[in-house]
Amino acid sequence: VKRIKMEDKNKSSTFEMLAFADSDDDLEYGDNEKNGEEEEEDEDDKKTHVLDSGNCTGEDGVSSDEKDMEPEDEDSEEMEEVEGTSDEEEEDDDDEENLLKDDDDTFIEDHTASEDTVGALKWKEDLKKKAAEVFLRHQQSVPNLRKLVYGTVADEEK
Amino acid sequence: MASQGHCLRFEGCNFFRQRLVLSTLSGRPVKIQGIRVKDESPGIRDFEASFIRLMDKITNGTRIEINETGTSLYYQPGLLFGGTLEHDCNVQRSVGYYLESLLCLAPFMKHPLRITLRGVTNDQMDPSVDVLKATAIPLLKKFGVDGEHFEIKILKRGMPPGGGGEIIFSCPTRKVLRPVLLTDPGKIKRIRGVAYSVRVSPQIGNRIVESARSVLNRFLPDIYIHTDHLKGANSGKSPGFGLSLVAETTEGYFLSAELASNPQGQGSVVLPEDLGKNCAKLLLEEIYRGGCVDSVNQSLILLLMTLGQQDVSKVLLGPLSPYTIEFLRHLRSFFQIMFKIESKTYEERKGAEKVLLTCVGVGFSNLSKTIK
Repeated sequence: VKRIKMEDKNKSSTFEMLAFADSDDDLEYGDNEKNGEEEEEDEDDKKTHVLDSGNCTGEDGVSSDEKDMEPEDEDSEEMEEVEGTSDEEEEDDDDEENLLKDDDDTFIEDHTASEDTVGALKWKEDLKKKAAEVFLRHQQSVPNLRKLVYGTVADEEK
Repeated sequence: MASQGHCLRFEGCNFFRQRLVLSTLSGRPVKIQGIRVKDESPGIRDFEASFIRLMDKITNGTRIEINETGTSLYYQPGLLFGGTLEHDCNVQRSVGYYLESLLCLAPFMKHPLRITLRGVTNDQMDPSVDVLKATAIPLLKKFGVDGEHFEIKILKRGMPPGGGGEIIFSCPTRKVLRPVLLTDPGKIKRIRGVAYSVRVSPQIGNRIVESARSVLNRFLPDIYIHTDHLKGANSGKSPGFGLSLVAETTEGYFLSAELASNPQGQGSVVLPEDLGKNCAKLLLEEIYRGGCVDSVNQSLILLLMTLGQQDVSKVLLGPLSPYTIEFLRHLRSFFQIMFKIESKTYEERKGAEKVLLTCVGVGFSNLSKTIK
């Protein structure tokens, strides 16, 4: 429900607002799409063990790297941010950048580097669409019921 | 849940029936400790004691040890004997509480079971006799348990708190169970139901039927709800009314829902109209959850699949109930069997997420039954 609210807020306030930290990374994004296909194709594959319940983001299922966990934290921080900024209608782009940079220290390095290049604002494109896709992915993520019922023993015995 | 040698140990009063039933079927003794130790009145309750007595009746050579306070129970199962029996069920729980377990055990008796149960036939807690009659019996038939005298007969109805109902359950025995493949639930074909009323105005039944139909008629025309008004000696000791609904699918599966009025002197007065409507909505919820078996019988079918011949059985269920999840864990403790559990979502996304459960039966065979 929270996510839907955020989408609405994006609509009403300035469009160029970071709504989803986990959708801004193109590399990661491509990864997820690929994984979505695997999910359907081979369920018996190792991948399915890593897949998690819909309560977590899809990223948690893709790989358990620290890297993936961080954007999730970012997500909640930025949610507050969105709420804060949406009240003040007029907001400079620079201010926004600064705000983001403050939070950015947990981000991957090359992200800040890319902001100076031509594709700097690429992550801001199609935010609404990306948000919608992330939402749908959450909805469709398949929980590993066997693990939920039997605990971790299920994996070992398999 | 650590098993110590041959005997399985459990803690607490939860899933009491599950443990005793599985113990009886697997032949493994159980020790249950810490039964309501922190309760004001510690130890097993009367309805549980009544259940233990019932288990003792249907078996031969069962050893039961209960400590002084009733907080600890040792149960060493005997052989399932069966025969013609009768049992006065405690009125704290309905007959359904006892009948559910009997349905699990009855096919494996030495002699076909024919048992008269007395007590509360319909209450708000346990599946009623009506629902078990309409759903569990056809389910057992799919596993090859069938015969002339396979029935549940309601002779008298009894509502809580007084009870006074009486039913007869008879079940033939089987040496082995057939493996089953229940993967396509089909679509809802018709809805049947029973609106019962005892020691209240006979008009109440009609009011329930009318309100339930007002909800269900929008979806399909083939609805028939009987009214069952019992009088005199057949109406038990307490007034009450209720409704049980069963939806049958094109593939011959049954989904059920039910509601009963508040027991006399407890809670507010329930309007028959509200009861009918709410029960119809509960049935819609059950249809939304879907699957080949409704949530009441989930654990029964999983048990029957486990006990089947050494062949693959599959069943498609709606979302697993917490009771079923614990039952799956117990099946692993007693029979070392683990199900393959897969979530299934369909493209049309109709209803709740389904779960496909697959297992290979342990090849349980009824040793007590004499081979003719």
